[in-house]
Amino acid sequence: MGAVIRGAKNIFRNFIRSLSIILILSIAFGLALIMLVSYYSVQNKIQEIKSSVGNIITVTPAGVRGFEGGGELLTTEQVKNIESINHVSSVSKVLQDRLINNQNTTLQPSLEPGSFGRRQQEQGGGGDRNMPGRSFIMSIMVIGIDNLSNIQSLGVGQFKITSGQKFDARSEELVSLVGIDLANKNNLKTSSFFSAYNNNIKVLGIYDTGNKFFNNSIIMPLRTVQNLSGQSGQISSVIVSVDSIDHLSEVQSTIKGKLGDKADIVSSEEMVSSTIRPLENIKTIALYSLLGALVAGIAIVFLTMLLIVRERRKEIGILKAIGASNFKIILQFVSESIMLSLLGGLIGIVLGVLLSNPIVKIMVQSNATAGFEGGPRMGQRIMMIMGNVQTIRNIQVLVGPSIIIYGLLIILAVAIIGSAIPTFLIAKIPPAEAIKNE
Amino acid sequence: MIQVNGLKKYFKSGDLVVKAVDGVNFSLKEGTFDVIVGKSGSGKSTLLSLLGGLDKPDAGTIMVDGIEVTKFNDRELINYRRSKVGFVFQSYNLIPNLSVLENVMLPLEFKGISFSDRQKKAELLLKMVGIGKDKFKLKIGRLSGGEQQRVAIARALANDPKLILADEPTGNLDTKTGKMIFDLLHRLSRLKKKIVLVVTHDVSIAGKADQLFRIIDGKLYKKTVLKNKNR
Repeated sequence: MGAVIRGAKNIFRNFIRSLSIILILSIAFGLALIMLVSYYSVQNKIQEIKSSVGNIITVTPAGVRGFEGGGELLTTEQVKNIESINHVSSVSKVLQDRLINNQNTTLQPSLEPGSFGRRQQEQGGGGDRNMPGRSFIMSIMVIGIDNLSNIQSLGVGQFKITSGQKFDARSEELVSLVGIDLANKNNLKTSSFFSAYNNNIKVLGIYDTGNKFFNNSIIMPLRTVQNLSGQSGQISSVIVSVDSIDHLSEVQSTIKGKLGDKADIVSSEEMVSSTIRPLENIKTIALYSLLGALVAGIAIVFLTMLLIVRERRKEIGILKAIGASNFKIILQFVSESIMLSLLGGLIGIVLGVLLSNPIVKIMVQSNATAGFEGGPRMGQRIMMIMGNVQTIRNIQVLVGPSIIIYGLLIILAVAIIGSAIPTFLIAKIPPAEAIKNE
Repeated sequence: MIQVNGLKKYFKSGDLVVKAVDGVNFSLKEGTFDVIVGKSGSGKSTLLSLLGGLDKPDAGTIMVDGIEVTKFNDRELINYRRSKVGFVFQSYNLIPNLSVLENVMLPLEFKGISFSDRQKKAELLLKMVGIGKDKFKLKIGRLSGGEQQRVAIARALANDPKLILADEPTGNLDTKTGKMIFDLLHRLSRLKKKIVLVVTHDVSIAGKADQLFRIIDGKLYKKTVLKNKNR
């Protein structure tokens, strides 16, 4: 029987004590595993959110958000300044406008005002409020864009063409993509026409974004909207794609330098930062809890091995007296420590696998809404946060083989670190200890 | 042949210096059964630990087959204990959670002997000291004191050492069993040509000794041995 097996068998010498230590260790290791899983799950979620918003900078006219605020829209000249900046890979220009039934379109909106819409009307927030005796009707948002691939940067959610085809966003044609709810409400299909701005606009495709707000909208080429709405050369927002997230801040500063106080500039990183903040908090909590659990594990192993070494001082002397080297004896005691830790670890892994998912979800759900603090009341930012909070709540917690392997390696490290000082004491015990009190 | 010259080991106890071993000289030959008699605290266990390489002396030399053990470093002392010395202790000092057989196999494992070889040798040794096969797998706690001491003697013989050092080997045994253990050790010295050095306070075994020493306050005195018919 080798030193390793002898060490492993030694844990059964005092079964009740060993069982107690194993159970205490299992709690420490279980907590460590849960925190490790939380850390990686949250980190993955942060990466996912960051990559979903991309390396985007949104430039809007100073003081203007959507149809709120006041000021001057951006001009084509200003946007040309942005296009010439280093590391800018593409620039998409957007102009938003509104269609109101019986004013500039025959379309019926798919959204009902509800209490929120009525309150907006009372506060002067929109609709056909200047026509006494008429009931309030929701408006339909028109998005003019010169690059459809950047449409998701407006926070529209999952943009999917359900029928028909996309248009050439750089054209001036009277064509459109219509939100699925709006199309259903008005019996519009691919190749149908509807009236807007006193023109007949052709429906080239129907899209679905998964949210009711944007499914009540129309997307058209930028110049078409500029021409039809009488806002030629004007832009309500610019989506700037940067070649790498590393250059995001640099490009943002350059845009600020070029446009001065004429524009509000927000990067995708900033837009999700408030959403990510609770996740970062969870990550920090998980990291500190992981370290705390590991320190507790090391302390438990340390104190246990210290107790065992002191208790078996004479036995160590005997082993030395009959020819054992320090290495053999240390190997035996480290094996005992590893065996205790592994048994504690196995129970801890079971606890971790069972409890990781509910604990991570509780942590995330109780923290996710914290991301709203200090945010604007309206606009695409809130839309993006709303979407991301939902995404955060759907966090995937997977205790995969790699996590288990990491966990086992950590347990081994805890066993070795925890028994380092006690085994150092083994080397110091004189073999003459065997003959004491004889 | 073991030759001890001017061996000294002092300990500090507060301001006092205790001379546990104080200039000891003697020699032991192969195939002899030698006895050191002394009271508790006379220094006999310290002398034994110096001879067995468990401790280092402050002065003097121990020569084993012409090699000076007192010059050995820690690693060489481990080898010395592993191959040249076998210990028999008063409290047997067997490992409680190992079986009888595993206890005897232990020194063989430290010497690097393969599992099957050490198992065969341990079985032979246990049979030689009178432990039946039915007890090989038992835990140590299931044996009587006399049986445990026999197992300890088998363990001491495992690596075929030149020197068997027995520290009060009958201290925890009744007179009859103690006599049997002494007889066994005496027989081994003759049969296996070992040097068996027994430290005891029991003067009744003096008649068996080839050499009889008395240790008083760390000093060793050789006594005349009265011939015993049973030798």
